[in-house]
Amino acid sequence: MNDMTLMENTVDTQNIKISAKDVNVYYGDSHAIKDVNVEIEDKTVTAFIGPSGCGKSTFMRCLNRMNDTIGTCRVQGDILLDGEDIYDKRVDPVQLRAKVGMVFQKPNPFPKSIYDNVAYGPRIHGLARNKAELDEIVEKSLRRGAIWDEVKDRLDAPGTGLSGGQQQRLCIARAVATEPEVLLMDEPCSALDPIATAQVEELIDELRNRYSVVIVTHSMQQAARVSQKTAFFHLGNLVEFGPTGQIFTNPEDPRTESYITGRIG
Amino acid sequence: MTDLSQSPAGAAPRKHGGSLLEKTPHTRKRNAAETRFKAYGIAAITAGLIMLLVLVTTIVGKGTGAFQQTFVTLNVELLEAKLDKKGNRNIEDIKKVTTFGYAPIIKGAMEAAVAELGIETSLKSKELAGILSKDVAAQLRDFVIANPDQIGQTVEFRFLASSRVDGYLKGRVTRDSIVNDKNISAEQLDLVDALAAAGVLEKTFNLDFITGADASDARPEAAGIGVSMLGSLFMMLVVLALALPIGVAASIYLEEFAPQNWLTDMIEVNISNLAAVPSIVFGILGLAVFINYMHLPTSAPLVGGLVLTLMTLPTIIISTRASLKSVPPSIRDAALGVGASKMQAVFHHVLPLAAPGILTGTIIGLAQALGETAPLLLIGMVGFIASNAPETLADGLLAPNSAMPAQIYEWAKRADPAFYERAWGGIIILLIFLVTMNTLAVILRRRFERRW
Repeated sequence: MNDMTLMENTVDTQNIKISAKDVNVYYGDSHAIKDVNVEIEDKTVTAFIGPSGCGKSTFMRCLNRMNDTIGTCRVQGDILLDGEDIYDKRVDPVQLRAKVGMVFQKPNPFPKSIYDNVAYGPRIHGLARNKAELDEIVEKSLRRGAIWDEVKDRLDAPGTGLSGGQQQRLCIARAVATEPEVLLMDEPCSALDPIATAQVEELIDELRNRYSVVIVTHSMQQAARVSQKTAFFHLGNLVEFGPTGQIFTNPEDPRTESYITGRIG
Repeated sequence: MTDLSQSPAGAAPRKHGGSLLEKTPHTRKRNAAETRFKAYGIAAITAGLIMLLVLVTTIVGKGTGAFQQTFVTLNVELLEAKLDKKGNRNIEDIKKVTTFGYAPIIKGAMEAAVAELGIETSLKSKELAGILSKDVAAQLRDFVIANPDQIGQTVEFRFLASSRVDGYLKGRVTRDSIVNDKNISAEQLDLVDALAAAGVLEKTFNLDFITGADASDARPEAAGIGVSMLGSLFMMLVVLALALPIGVAASIYLEEFAPQNWLTDMIEVNISNLAAVPSIVFGILGLAVFINYMHLPTSAPLVGGLVLTLMTLPTIIISTRASLKSVPPSIRDAALGVGASKMQAVFHHVLPLAAPGILTGTIIGLAQALGETAPLLLIGMVGFIASNAPETLADGLLAPNSAMPAQIYEWAKRADPAFYERAWGGIIILLIFLVTMNTLAVILRRRFERRW
């Protein structure tokens, strides 16, 4: 992919998958996210960009309630997934996370075999009735993670023995195995070399056909390459949200322009 | 001794213009300081090693004697006239003959042996029997009660020699040291020499020391550590059965589930404090709670195990929490990210990774408990407890027993030097157990150490 060519914005008629309304997040006394409103579309890659500490990761972690594990974190406002409030008291965060999968910054395969890494999610969610079905899910997921050909002969080998890029694709395969509807990626390429990054980016583009993908990235080129929509965060505010092409070529807010041209951040 | 503190105050700043082949005074000084520091370290390690060496040689030198014992092999005629006057082999009648009744038989056997070997001695039959242990009569009586059909026959026995004779063969007792000793005379030692020359009396390996029970003050030669070893074993079972599940459950809850607030902070601080509480305090607690309030039997390994559980819990909790903490959070995130519940994340991923650390901590905690004497003082497990080996689990837990370190302490404070030797021997056995456990802990840690 060429750095400078921007994805065509071909997604204006998609359905809204996640819609956040007036979201505020507090860590203890500090106000991390301020009145964020965002609508994430289905079968689209949405990139969150912004300088370090701007709250983009925090906001993304609200979308599958990973912030629940942090004791001091409070979330206000509504986040609707297919019209249902995910912070409703009746919602079990565990069930939500099966629907909204996540890939982390640092590849974090379980210290188990490649097979078990991918099979873990389907097993705990009871997605396979027998071994044959599970094998099928594992193969399908590894194919979707674009790593099947590299590991098909050594599914019993430990996942931690793979290279960094392979590990990250394994983690994507693991996330995909539970049949999520949304895939959150928290700087998935920041620990990878350029070649592995290119492979993962290519994969993200393919994943768009099935899932709604949200990616947090520090690299503006990456956001430009893989996303159709971009949200720019600054100091906890959502400064600008729109089609990627427009954000990068014709930003409305001067802060966005400053960031993109390298003057802040 | 940092570089900064050594640079002379007010001196002109040095330039890096000189030749690299020449050391500047500053570098030379630094290198000298480094060499000195290494020398201190080596000296410290050497001092430690020397102390260890002295300790080990002392223990081995003084303790190995306990594993050998002097035995006398005698043919004993089990006279029917003395043991079963009615001659009808009624076990009740046989049991009526006390150990005193066996004395003439033993004397007779000694006389016969001396006569057979052609040893000339002016000793009376009572003095002849005096070189044997006071335990012999009991040994003989037990044999006869178990085998009444042997009455009237001549049977070969291997009898313990008295502790003085044993000490004579081991060099602890000399002809000079017995001048004022009423228990043995120079003539008896002559007899011992003659018997030893004839091969009737010999010093051999003594399994009874490892398997046997404690014996009274008069019979140090019969004392063994085996029963107190079982006492320790049952205590360790109690500790393992209670401390491991309670400790691990408490640690998992505190580390993974508990909310961060002042209450959990208090609990954490207090667990750390508990680890520093002197063990005798746990003994007082055990006396007050388990014996005075709950009326559990005194001297029972069950109570000892409960007390040691209290003592071991903080160790296990602290090491378990440390190993849980060392599992990287990314593993928990990964599990939660694919929709595992908190408990699934902990039990499927965190706990298996922490298991080697937990096991290591548990073994070290157990080893610590195994060597503990002070808390046992107060619940009556230190003292002369000459019980036989327990036969059932309930017996093992509830019957009065001692523990290995308590037994060692008990022997060390008795007057007869023969017990002193057994105390050192007991230390060897205890150390073998402790070293084995610690080695196991190290092997487990090495074997299952994972990288991620």
